[in-house]
Amino acid sequence: MAVVETYAGYGPIQAQRFSPYADNGGSIVAIAGEDFAVIGSDTRLTVGYAINTREQNKLFRLSDKTVLGSCGCWCDVLTLTRVLNARMMMYNHEHQKVMGTQAVAQLLSTMLYYKRFFPYYVSNILAGLDENGKGAVYHYDPVGHYERNYYYAGGASSALLQPFLDNQVGLKNMENVTKEIISLEKAVAVVKDAFISAAEREIHTGDAIMINIIDKNGIREEKFALRKD
Amino acid sequence: MIHRSALRLIKMFLTRSEYDRGVNTFSPEGRLFQVEYAIEAIKLGSTAIGICTNEGVVLAVEKRITSPLMEPTTIEKIVEVDKHIGCAVSGLIADSRTMVDRARLECQNHWFSYNEKMSVESVAQAVSNLAIQFGDSDDDGGAMSRPFGVAILFAGCDEKGPQLFHMDPSGTFVQFDAKAIGSGSEGAQQSLQEQYHKSMTLKEALTSALTILKQVMEEKLSSTNVEVVTVTPQKFFHMYSKDEVEEVIKDIS
Amino acid sequence: MASVLCPDFAPPGFSFENHQRNAFLVKKGFPAPKATKTGTTIVGAVFRDGVVLGADTRATEDTIVATKNCQKIHYMAPNMYCCGAGTAADTEFTTASISSQLELHRLNTGRVVPVVTANMMLRQMLFRYQGHIGAALILGGVDNSGPHLYQIYPHGSSDDLPYCTMGSGSLGAMAVFESRWKPNMSEEEAKLLVRDAVAAGVFNDLASGNNIDLCVLRKGTVDLLRPYEVANVKGQRINTYKYKKGTTVVLKQKVVPIVVEDEVVRKVPGPDGEESMDTS
Repeated sequence: MAVVETYAGYGPIQAQRFSPYADNGGSIVAIAGEDFAVIGSDTRLTVGYAINTREQNKLFRLSDKTVLGSCGCWCDVLTLTRVLNARMMMYNHEHQKVMGTQAVAQLLSTMLYYKRFFPYYVSNILAGLDENGKGAVYHYDPVGHYERNYYYAGGASSALLQPFLDNQVGLKNMENVTKEIISLEKAVAVVKDAFISAAEREIHTGDAIMINIIDKNGIREEKFALRKD
Repeated sequence: MIHRSALRLIKMFLTRSEYDRGVNTFSPEGRLFQVEYAIEAIKLGSTAIGICTNEGVVLAVEKRITSPLMEPTTIEKIVEVDKHIGCAVSGLIADSRTMVDRARLECQNHWFSYNEKMSVESVAQAVSNLAIQFGDSDDDGGAMSRPFGVAILFAGCDEKGPQLFHMDPSGTFVQFDAKAIGSGSEGAQQSLQEQYHKSMTLKEALTSALTILKQVMEEKLSSTNVEVVTVTPQKFFHMYSKDEVEEVIKDIS
Repeated sequence: MASVLCPDFAPPGFSFENHQRNAFLVKKGFPAPKATKTGTTIVGAVFRDGVVLGADTRATEDTIVATKNCQKIHYMAPNMYCCGAGTAADTEFTTASISSQLELHRLNTGRVVPVVTANMMLRQMLFRYQGHIGAALILGGVDNSGPHLYQIYPHGSSDDLPYCTMGSGSLGAMAVFESRWKPNMSEEEAKLLVRDAVAAGVFNDLASGNNIDLCVLRKGTVDLLRPYEVANVKGQRINTYKYKKGTTVVLKQKVVPIVVEDEVVRKVPGPDGEESMDTS
């Protein structure tokens, strides 16, 4: 709300500025292993204190090797993923090959920066296998900054999820631990536990999580229930 | 004996008619004369040879030193398109600049958008799109009023390995193991067919290319009147220095 | 000795000492701290023999759950309870303040305090503060004239209703009441209805959640059912997160030995006044 004019004795007259963004919540967690990547997101879609749906999948399969997790302003997520899919299809036709994870990672960054001054309000995390078959996780800011990581959390609960990942996956702030690359079994358990705990304390997170496991055999999907209040 | 291409030219002039002027009118026999003339134009160009081996691609061209007062190094017929792609041109060199610029631009755009090397085939495709943008100006802005008078050999190493593509003024591009373009191309292509084999090494290809070039060149082959480039997965685009060229020529009888 | 920091008697009403300073700080870009909101679903319904009040147990600070099991059904008097929604502190202090006045009133009059009296006292207090006390209340009780249910807004207006809902989850809860409430329900019917109304808030309003509390007020008896239902079971984590000894980094170590300066042994007599029993 912005004060436009003030009339003496009548108080400020307020006008609603054009506000094209909505925050529809949602959180994403991704972990990369030696030869796999795990990505999970909750399935609750909210606006304010209301739930739009309890079963909105926020993971987008871009190829057999790449999955994008996207949340924030849901209409932007829909548009961004549609344009991204179209761009990948055009690439496929132009170059007669499926886009690799790192090429998708760069393309997404380019697409986000293209809208630098009217950005897509989205938290993106890209997970998949790179050109050598190794697990890869890329995270983005809304205007195209991106970085490759082994693990990352984004979205409404990111402040609750990321410290947990830093400790359990990054093995940060601990003495006498052997730094080893995470196993698939532990990665999936950590994703579930992270969301279980986030659902306890963050009101936009809940209902269920969708998990995608990406390895050389393709993509497996798993659903896991969370509390619904 | 009448030269074969001369024979074809005679035949072409016999069929010429009012259809040979416009680039946007097919003749009743379904031909676009201006495009065919453009293809003829490159046969006046200097000879260029490309050979693709498992180790990399060789490009070799002759430089026509038409005057002793000419500075030979300013003739540039093999250029770098991207780190991993080079191309040799023959025909109207001025036209080739436009096409090379497009090829370079497409490579940079591809890197910018996808953070990966553009494949050789995709570069050929992109340049082909430019090659056919002639005729009346339309929405694309009408790049040229006539076809480009250039043939190009694209040599590069991408994820499929070493690759060689040939493109003519009609925009048609085809992959080759070995290809010659320019004035000496007919003879050179014949020789390439005899000499080429799948297990050729890069060194063999280099010798072969220069030997054939020597045979079809009117002037005596030397380190000043040829340009040699290799594109390999290790060193990418590599232009041979005068000394390096001499090193290769030395072995040629 | 009396001082500003330690007065003999606290002056009545609120202290506005820091008002000017805080206004200055806000102007300088230091915002006032946020108060905990109940972000609530509270409901009440009258049945044949009394009143049932219901509430969820979640308190929030913006999007974070501050308390998972807070009590939003406050004691007012032996025959009265009051549900509170809004700023947690305001609901707690308002109900407690009026509650103590009601007790004094009961002692002065020596009879059951009418619910309408509590309603009037709450409204007058809230009206005096012009809505700055962010308390939205549902007051329920049974007195000599029967069961009563009042809905009170932060500015001091109130309604006398057979069923009502307040808080951020009030819309979902009201939907349940509007479709299913009827006069002269049995106690069991009323409890189930109130439970379902709160559950509608718990599951559909993000600021409401966790458990459901009920309070049944009949003539002469009161049942505070807390929790009436654990509406959401806490998720079971797969891994355990116990750290091995030595996981925390030791930055610095300093040992201060305890020096025994003196030793005194005193025998304590046993319960019978005798010497303590020899247990060796």
